[in-house]
Amino acid sequence: MVLVAAVTLIALAAAVVCGLVIGPISIGTTRILGDVFSHIGLGRSTLTPTQTLIIWQVRAPRMVLGLLAGSMLAVAGGTYQGVFRNPLADPYLLGVAAGAGLGATVAIVDIGGGLTTPSWTPLLAFGGAMVAVAVTWIIGGRGLRSSTSTLILAGVAIASLFTSAQTFLQQQSSPDSIARVYIWLLGSLASASWSSVLLVLPYVAICVAICVAAGRALDVMSVGEDESRSLGLRVRRVRFIVIAASSLGTAAIVSAVGLIGFVGIIVPHIIRLLVGTSYRRILPISVIFGAAFLVFADTIARTVLAPSELPLGVVTAVVGAPVFVLILSLRRQVVT
Amino acid sequence: MSSIELRDLTVRAGSTTLISEISLDVEAGTWCTVIGPNGAGKTTLVETVAGLRRSAKGSVTILGELVSSMNERERALKIALVPQHPVVPPGMRVLDYVALGRTAYHGLLRAPSATDRKAVDSVVARLSLGEYAHRDVVTLSGGERQRMVLARALAQGTMVMVLDEPISGLDLRHQMTMLELLQKEVKECGLTVLATLHDLTLAGQFADRLVLLDHGQLILDGPSSEVVRSEELAACYGMKLRVIDVDGADVVIPVRR
Repeated sequence: MVLVAAVTLIALAAAVVCGLVIGPISIGTTRILGDVFSHIGLGRSTLTPTQTLIIWQVRAPRMVLGLLAGSMLAVAGGTYQGVFRNPLADPYLLGVAAGAGLGATVAIVDIGGGLTTPSWTPLLAFGGAMVAVAVTWIIGGRGLRSSTSTLILAGVAIASLFTSAQTFLQQQSSPDSIARVYIWLLGSLASASWSSVLLVLPYVAICVAICVAAGRALDVMSVGEDESRSLGLRVRRVRFIVIAASSLGTAAIVSAVGLIGFVGIIVPHIIRLLVGTSYRRILPISVIFGAAFLVFADTIARTVLAPSELPLGVVTAVVGAPVFVLILSLRRQVVT
Repeated sequence: MSSIELRDLTVRAGSTTLISEISLDVEAGTWCTVIGPNGAGKTTLVETVAGLRRSAKGSVTILGELVSSMNERERALKIALVPQHPVVPPGMRVLDYVALGRTAYHGLLRAPSATDRKAVDSVVARLSLGEYAHRDVVTLSGGERQRMVLARALAQGTMVMVLDEPISGLDLRHQMTMLELLQKEVKECGLTVLATLHDLTLAGQFADRLVLLDHGQLILDGPSSEVVRSEELAACYGMKLRVIDVDGADVVIPVRR
């Protein structure tokens, strides 16, 4: 556990450095680090004003937004897997992705007029995501009284409904709008700015804290709802809080960066293979590893085909799947 | 004084009545076993006493407090449950599984206290689980698992325990071991036990009192030796039963017609 935590922290530090150093314009690691240290009173910066602008207004907000998105998606995936006791659960299970997709599509194709300014896309994506989860919760028997499987089925139904509506809107829109919706759906950190970081930061900070704190409750819930209740856990209340925090944080992230798949499902599984099944260990380490993983993935996404970018969701899948398979096979060898 | 009091308890699932107007008192420090054929309502009764099912009518009182008025934490401090099919989460250590029994004491945001750890260690030692303490729960045999589930219930430190078929799936030796461990807790710690059992011989040998249920109704309630010899018992099972005395213990034998 300590070793894994140390390795993930080193990976996080390496991801931060990569996020700042790697880019189409070569600036030099030591000069960038010198500039970073100069901000805390150690040494002097040797960067030109343009280079400072690239580092602090382009790469840094993108890297920080990547850290926030990776940590939130990973911890939300982990908590969903715990609360639904389902290894295939991911942060989009209850319709967040479909709702956000519909909201963003409404903004991009501008059905009502006047919504085409970029600021409407995250707002409507966030609203769509929250509406989808709320409707899922209500249809699934208000989640409090129903079983988790009812909630999952309601999520599948709502996701299908919202996706159908989104597809219909796309079909009615111009080729240019379709292309922009498609780019949004694939997820990207390209539009990151300090204002988008500040917008999602409170949501992510609070929701990640709640999810990590729920680790002990999720461990108890691993014995099922009835047994958890007999052990003193207020299962329905915990379920509501955890789902609300995971969904809210995911909606905030999705509204800022679009749909980035795979992180929420693969990161908790990788960590589970390394530290065991306790959510008290899985969730905090997933926060760190998810953050590092997404920044590494974004670094690949924006450099492999520079100056154009690969969709981030494609990179997370291409990088994540082999890593997962490798760890799985290594662990099998150790067990046998 | 009664530890468990049931008054006119009726439980329904939709329009189906699962148990109907059952009244029962289980004295503190005694063992009461509920017997009856499949579908008699035994599991429903146990789950309702444990607070997992709502009653349509009547009441359940544990140590003087209505179960329906307690929240999950308050209930967990008064009554422990050993379910018929406990969920055994892969990857969890035996010690951590037993420690789940202390959830109601330390809550969800605090780590277990020294008292919690001491309680867990004590139960692990009492039930001879020490050598398995750091093993994955799924590596245990059926008998060891059932002991582990009992240990979790005992770690709750309650004075009342309900058990639903605690020996199902165990071989004869492990059945006996499990029931003897439980009897020791009743005698030495004053635990009150309400259990369901299918094995009439073991039910008669270990319980102070047997309660016979059939079709959700209480048919007979009395000392074990009387209930196993009753005509009602044979009638409920729809077969002839013989009871023979083996070294002072009643053995119930089904006889083929």
